[in-house]
Amino acid sequence: MKFYRIVVAASLAVMVTCPAHGQERTAVKAGFELPPNSGKTILVFRPTVRVGAQSTGGMFEPNGDWTDEARKYIEIALAARQNGLGNRVVMAPEVYGADAQLVAEYSALFAAVSQSVINYQFFVGNRLPTKKRDNKANIFDWSLGSGVSALPGAKDADYALFIYNKDAYGSTGRKLLQIVALLGPGIAIKSGEHAGYAALVDLKTGDVLWLNADASMGGDVRTADGAIKRVGQLLEDFPGSARPKVAPTQP
Amino acid sequence: MRRAVTFVVGLCLASASLAAPGGVKVAPPPPPYVGAYQPRGVDEIGLWKENDEDERVLATSPMVIRDEALNTYVKGVLCSAVGDDRCKSTRIYILRTPVFNANMSPNGTMRVFTGLLLRMHNEAELAEVLAHEFGHFELRHTLARFKAQRSATDLLSWAAVFAAMSNSYSARSNFDSLQLSVYGRLYRFNRDEERQADVFGIGFLNASKLRPQAAANVWRNSMAEATASASARGLPRPKFDQIAFFATHPPDAEREMTLSALALPEGRTREDGTDRYQRAMATWLPLFLDDQIKLNDFGGSDFLINALAEGGWTASLWLARGDLYRARGNPRDLVNAAEFYTNAVGLNPGLAEAHRGLGLSLLKTGRQSDGQAELARYLQLKPDASDAAMIRMLAPSNGNDR
Repeated sequence: MKFYRIVVAASLAVMVTCPAHGQERTAVKAGFELPPNSGKTILVFRPTVRVGAQSTGGMFEPNGDWTDEARKYIEIALAARQNGLGNRVVMAPEVYGADAQLVAEYSALFAAVSQSVINYQFFVGNRLPTKKRDNKANIFDWSLGSGVSALPGAKDADYALFIYNKDAYGSTGRKLLQIVALLGPGIAIKSGEHAGYAALVDLKTGDVLWLNADASMGGDVRTADGAIKRVGQLLEDFPGSARPKVAPTQP
Repeated sequence: MRRAVTFVVGLCLASASLAAPGGVKVAPPPPPYVGAYQPRGVDEIGLWKENDEDERVLATSPMVIRDEALNTYVKGVLCSAVGDDRCKSTRIYILRTPVFNANMSPNGTMRVFTGLLLRMHNEAELAEVLAHEFGHFELRHTLARFKAQRSATDLLSWAAVFAAMSNSYSARSNFDSLQLSVYGRLYRFNRDEERQADVFGIGFLNASKLRPQAAANVWRNSMAEATASASARGLPRPKFDQIAFFATHPPDAEREMTLSALALPEGRTREDGTDRYQRAMATWLPLFLDDQIKLNDFGGSDFLINALAEGGWTASLWLARGDLYRARGNPRDLVNAAEFYTNAVGLNPGLAEAHRGLGLSLLKTGRQSDGQAELARYLQLKPDASDAAMIRMLAPSNGNDR
């Protein structure tokens, strides 16, 4: 495991950057609509927020201060944005014992499901054959199961919102390496990583209603303004969003 | 360019050879306790923050065994080794994982795997392993390791770019040697941290009321188990005195020798805490053994069961041995399994699982009516067993068949 991390970090150093497009993708379950100002209550589970720097060799260097700031700003920006859409945001209650274990299990399940969507349906590269067909037929059908209704706080809410956000800001060394590599041997090295995903889950059926994954987002989460921009990108194409996409939605 | 790379290679090799383990004397007692430590600097605060998030997840994990008595006992063993003051900065989580290991995060989260509890024979052995992990915590090894990995990958990244720039055979070959020496040094760094933690850990044991000589025993048993496991697979005896390039820990033979040299000779007469340990584990052994048997490591599991039986066979040990042989499932194994189950039933006629195993083994060796009688006995002892319906199909004679 440790060796693997080192190898990955080292190989990152010579990794050629992927083209910027094809890193962002949204999907909505067929037939799901959330008109603006429908007054729904959205339960937000403790967002996963990891903020740090990226070392010259590409390792993630966690930064406690940035993480605390980002968590605070993201929660504020989230509430503001959902209020703008006419939804009420409730933070999931802090729970202990059996309830906490249930939340942990569903959070893990959600992480596994959303990773499966991202790995096997969303992006070109390693899609499963069955999910390729789903893509063509415009099918987005994933569920956590109706057991979600037993989650603490689920009785008084309509939907659950899960958020994952990881930021690694390129260190000075990484940026220097990037420049030297580009000017010298002409290798493109990626500096910084700003990935995240957000999903809306029906608290009655457990169906994943909407999921947005973005592997390169803007907005500096360490500042209040940046966090507003970031939450805007995390919740891009959120059902009921005021500005409709001009281009036909690609499933 | 080439000279620069060669220089760096030389530098790395030189510093690698400096880090050889020193001469072995009796481990010094632990330094005086300086109060609860708080992280300092960006890297350490960041690491602790990540650990805090991990611990939130860990605390709610279904893998954690939350039994109060077991947790109090294991915590008590740690405290008896490192002292009550130091002990307060730790949280122990016992994870149901049949692996011989324990670890400790920078923020004071200690994970103890049930595979470790299965393999320890007494309090002194357990205390040694826990004190070793505590050593990593107090010496802040994870942070040092993180920094070492970062410097190593930084260096290699620059070297990769420079090597690509000159794009000659010699540059490529220099880069390859550099890579080898940097990785080699990184793993040696890791092993040296383990050596330090061993010294630190046994220092605690020397200063405690427990017998420090037990520490070397842990590694003696570990080698014996690995030998038994290899031999059952038809593999040659593992080489315990050689260091593999990517080894994260020193070899077992070295640890055994170092630890026995580090142990305080006057401590030889102290107690091991064997009775207390066996009492605390008694109710858990069947579960730990069951998990171990499912690892499909016949030689290792048989070794462990026999080691536990040194103080006398119990019904649950015979049951575990029967399960182990029945799981391998050759006709000869089933005959052995039936014998072991019979021993278990002889010692404890109320042990339902032994009747089940005996019944299934007998059925498979062609003793239909004996087997069905045993299965009927199982259903009688445990009418609402989760597999009752299935067993009823195999033993229809008891009149409950559908």
